[in-house]
Amino acid sequence: MTGDLADVTVRVQDAHVSYRVYEEPSKGLKQGFAQGRARRRYRTIRAVRGVTLDLHEHETLGLVGANGSGKTTLLSAMTGLLPLESGSIQGRSRPSLLGVSSALRPALSGRRNILVGGLALGFTRSEIERRMDEIIDFAGLRAAIDRPMRTYSSGMRARLRFAIATARIPEILLIDEALTVGDEEFRRRAAERIDEVCAAAGSVVLVTHNMAEVQRFCDRVAWLDEGRLRAVGEPDEVVEVYVAASASRPR
Amino acid sequence: MDDRRTADAGSRPLIDLTAPPSTVAYLREAWRRREFAIVVPAQDLRAQNMDTALGQLWHLVNPALLVGVYFLIFGVVIDTRRGVDNFLAFLVVGVVLFHLTQRVVQEAAVSITQNLGLIRSIQFPRILLPAASVNGQTAAFVPALGLALVAVLATGERPSLRWLVLPGVLSAQFAFNFGAALLVARIGARMPDLRQILPHMFRLLFYASGVIFSVDAFVTSSAWRRAFALNPIYDIITAARWCLMGEPLDMWVLVGLLAWCALMPAAGFVVFHRSEQRLGA
Repeated sequence: MTGDLADVTVRVQDAHVSYRVYEEPSKGLKQGFAQGRARRRYRTIRAVRGVTLDLHEHETLGLVGANGSGKTTLLSAMTGLLPLESGSIQGRSRPSLLGVSSALRPALSGRRNILVGGLALGFTRSEIERRMDEIIDFAGLRAAIDRPMRTYSSGMRARLRFAIATARIPEILLIDEALTVGDEEFRRRAAERIDEVCAAAGSVVLVTHNMAEVQRFCDRVAWLDEGRLRAVGEPDEVVEVYVAASASRPR
Repeated sequence: MDDRRTADAGSRPLIDLTAPPSTVAYLREAWRRREFAIVVPAQDLRAQNMDTALGQLWHLVNPALLVGVYFLIFGVVIDTRRGVDNFLAFLVVGVVLFHLTQRVVQEAAVSITQNLGLIRSIQFPRILLPAASVNGQTAAFVPALGLALVAVLATGERPSLRWLVLPGVLSAQFAFNFGAALLVARIGARMPDLRQILPHMFRLLFYASGVIFSVDAFVTSSAWRRAFALNPIYDIITAARWCLMGEPLDMWVLVGLLAWCALMPAAGFVVFHRSEQRLGA
């Protein structure tokens, strides 16, 4: 890790994140009654266990790891959505997580969803209306924009989400979904947006399970395993050890 | 989100991304994003009746039916008119204002639990969620308030100077509703069972608010009458009836109304904001 702060956009230092989940009692109703009312059981998940990582200007970092390795939790902590147990996360500005899907309404048209999603992301109404055409064109939805979103294919939805979330080029962009869901044209545009962020001295973090995506988009890769960083470095090298480890691990 | 990037971006200091903002910064950010709490519920209201034959007309038909049913039961079948000259107007004002608060509170109680996905993926001042409930339900009740005014005029009331006080009463109700919404949003997030309890609480409150009968005519003890002034919804309805129909207004009712509309938003904000970081965790 470089000690020089000059080109660091986000600095994660020994970050620990835990959260509690309610565990459903596995026993059946009858058994449950026989044993009396079971107390609510919470289990603490130590999702991120001491991650130290710097993001730099002009950089796209791939974040790989098995399901449940803490990738999403780490991104959530970076946006301030989850509190840290210990350690620190600092950055030049608050990163935007590409997570607009939860704000969108399937019953409403694509155009109205651009408004709703944009407002949820903190755009003003006039800002969205000014960029409306640009967003529609970027999503490639000109013909379908006034149809209810529930009629869209999964690829169309992914394009719409990406177009809304990146309508304003953020300084630090966190992407927690597969870009491969769209067609080649969409992937090309997504790559353009990522390049735009990087070109403007920003950083991108891309969580993915798709190694082709990693090779295509990322300058550096971090491998997260059970909440700890196993390796950080050149995409080729890290992907190689990650793939080898995944293949040999019994599932 | 900060759009502006300076040329010497490299020299900018890093800020702590996990520390919660100060209350002032929080409120400023909430205000900057206020359109979210206005536009989104409006879009949801549109979506609600999109597949029905009457469409958006339901926002008018629904309260009309509500008032009609109450009039049929309490004005015709069971006569609770005692002591009220213009019972239809009396009933309409009571029913419409009571249901406004009820709808706001019940909607706000699930405003966090129904938006957990949003809370877990986007960082924004969470106060916008209960605020959206308040705005949405208040907007949905504007036709009902119009209906109430028409009913009041149609049954022989004439506008007077007292009518000018009505916007003040409605503003007080809005303030109370807002505070109550924040409170139940917080409680409902911690304890989703609240959603099941609220309808029963409101049924009880309904009878304690003199919606369908005149408390003054049925309750003879002045000490008991004064106890009714502790009920914010009774205060709101009674003050509105004074404005529109010249029904009697006790001083204690006015005191109660002012106290509730000042204290409830403050208490609601403190409770909501204090544990906001843990919402959705």
